[in-house]
Amino acid sequence: MEKLLLRNIDKENSHTIEVYLAGGGYGALRKVLKEMSPEDVVEEVKLSGLRGRGGAGFPTGMKWEFAAADIKEPKFFVCNADEGEPCTFKDRVIIEKDPHALIEGMLIGAYATGCRYGYIYLRGEYPIGKRILERAIAEAYEKGFLGENILGTDFSFDLYIHSGAGAYICGEETALIESMEGKRGEPRIKPPFPVNAGYLWKPTVVNNVETLANVPLIIERGGKWYSQIGSPDCPGPKLFPVSGKVKRPGVYELPMGTPLEEIIFEHAGGIVRDRKLKAVFPGGASSSVLTADEISVPMDFPSLAKAGTMLGSGAIMVLDETDCIVKAALRLIEFFRHESCGKCTPCREGTDWLVRILRRIEEGKGSEKDLEVILSISETMENSFCGLGMAAHNPVASTVRKFREEYLQHIKTGRCPFRSS
Amino acid sequence: MTYEEFREEIRKLVASNRYPSLKSYTLPALWIAEKNFPRIDAEIMRIIAAELQIPLIEVEEAARFYAMFHTEPKGKYIIRVCTNLSCMLNGAEEIVKELKKLLGIEVGQTTPDGLFTLEEYECMGLCDGAPALTVNEERFLRVKKEELPQILKKFGWQGE
Ligand SMILES: Cc1cc2nc3c(=O)[nH]c(=O)nc-3n(C[C@H](O)[C@H](O)[C@H](O)COP(=O)(O)O)c2cc1C
Ligand code: SF4
Ligand code: FES
Repeated sequence: MEKLLLRNIDKENSHTIEVYLAGGGYGALRKVLKEMSPEDVVEEVKLSGLRGRGGAGFPTGMKWEFAAADIKEPKFFVCNADEGEPCTFKDRVIIEKDPHALIEGMLIGAYATGCRYGYIYLRGEYPIGKRILERAIAEAYEKGFLGENILGTDFSFDLYIHSGAGAYICGEETALIESMEGKRGEPRIKPPFPVNAGYLWKPTVVNNVETLANVPLIIERGGKWYSQIGSPDCPGPKLFPVSGKVKRPGVYELPMGTPLEEIIFEHAGGIVRDRKLKAVFPGGASSSVLTADEISVPMDFPSLAKAGTMLGSGAIMVLDETDCIVKAALRLIEFFRHESCGKCTPCREGTDWLVRILRRIEEGKGSEKDLEVILSISETMENSFCGLGMAAHNPVASTVRKFREEYLQHIKTGRCPFRSS
Repeated sequence: MTYEEFREEIRKLVASNRYPSLKSYTLPALWIAEKNFPRIDAEIMRIIAAELQIPLIEVEEAARFYAMFHTEPKGKYIIRVCTNLSCMLNGAEEIVKELKKLLGIEVGQTTPDGLFTLEEYECMGLCDGAPALTVNEERFLRVKKEELPQILKKFGWQGE
């Protein structure tokens, strides 16, 4: 398929404004400012069917419509560049190789929603991306794409980077806003949603990097064209970061709905040393596991939900036959225990107990009853305050269900069958 | 950086007018401290609180919440070894073990000469280069155990 989102990244110096402009960059912004009203832009994005790429899959046009309808001033447009989901590195590619696509997408979104100020919430672990974005923002100011009266119109927009400092929870949009306000990253209750009461309780649009990179494309070629790519009920190109035990780990751009099997075996080159595929987490660390028999599933929001898991960030994590499923689940829940903000009990306690129980099973000291306890903790965690706790137990509970034999083997033999010593 | 210079930096930061609320400068201010001091100590927090007109406890809360801020002394170089899933599957544990041996310290500790702090870290978005580690802002991808002495020497390691 023609590369759309990644159309620029193989060009030399793709991160500079000269290269971006030479490829027609900022043409969509020009078109929007000269020919379209904010309502037209919202309509075009709604027509495209674009759904957010940050994990939740919320329709972008609808979000923008809500924000545009709010009359409180000023409004803020925030790009979520926190990219903290384990094994997700797709936004990094856009940030480092095509930062102007992101800035142009933000500008168009800000125009559509009436936002005067913008922030890119960038994870602290992307210092290289920070330098590239700083430079890109400076270039955009210099050329008159940012600042007062952009391209001679009434539209003004200032853009800044806000650096995170190592907290996965700050990717959750309300925790992100708390963090921008200078606080610990603890989620807020929803509603009210950020579009009505976000940063400093003013209307705030939060969109993911990849979501925004789609926007110039939609304006250039039309929402209708876009809506015909990939899956009908959630169209468009999608970036899939693939890692773990594949021969060619990397970010692959494919239409929404590409079968998981094709991504792993054709694009990512199959399993290392031609071993057997054992298990896949198809949508980041909080997705439920799929077994080797389940990988014909199309990679889009509804299909994966139907398969009992989720698309999330689209991060595909591949395990081969030599990998221990208990150890993998343990490592993921350790991550969530570390990142739990501690605000609510089901998540703070649940992640901690899951770590303890999984660790004793992995060390050969578990009992069969532990498996029932895991599933019951998992059920309780569904009632957590935010998405972190609500999903953190998925890799654990799903592996207990689908790889029960392997858990039992640890318990019965008193050791991990995959450890040599 | 001296405390007075730090105070000046915060004033400059606030003068940039990036945020409509003073408290929003907390993380940027902590970042300046993180980059210019061996640790974010009580005096630094007092300066931030005074300049941003917020209670000291709120600065302290933020300083202790984020993994990249050090309120305990750190070395000149922070080695962050990712041990999350993709790196783990590709041998991160071996890398940590070898670094502990070479540096003679445990995870979370700093070498006696103050050069290196060793941290096990969560995913840094470098998973296509697993196992990955960073030394301050520099990345090292698909790291092999045998390459570690070479990497350390780049940053002034004297060992063998
Ligand atoms: C625990 C948690 C972590 C999240 N991390 C991220 C993240 O790193 N990046 C991101 O874009 N969205 C993340 N999200 C989703 C955001 O809350 C939000 O839905 C998203 O930024 C909205 O943008 P979109 O509509 O363009 O997808 C996270 C959500 C949860 C619950
Ligand atoms: S679910 Fe976890 S991360 Fe979310 S509010 Fe509760 S403790 Fe914090
Ligand atoms: S898992 Fe190690 S960098 Fe992502």
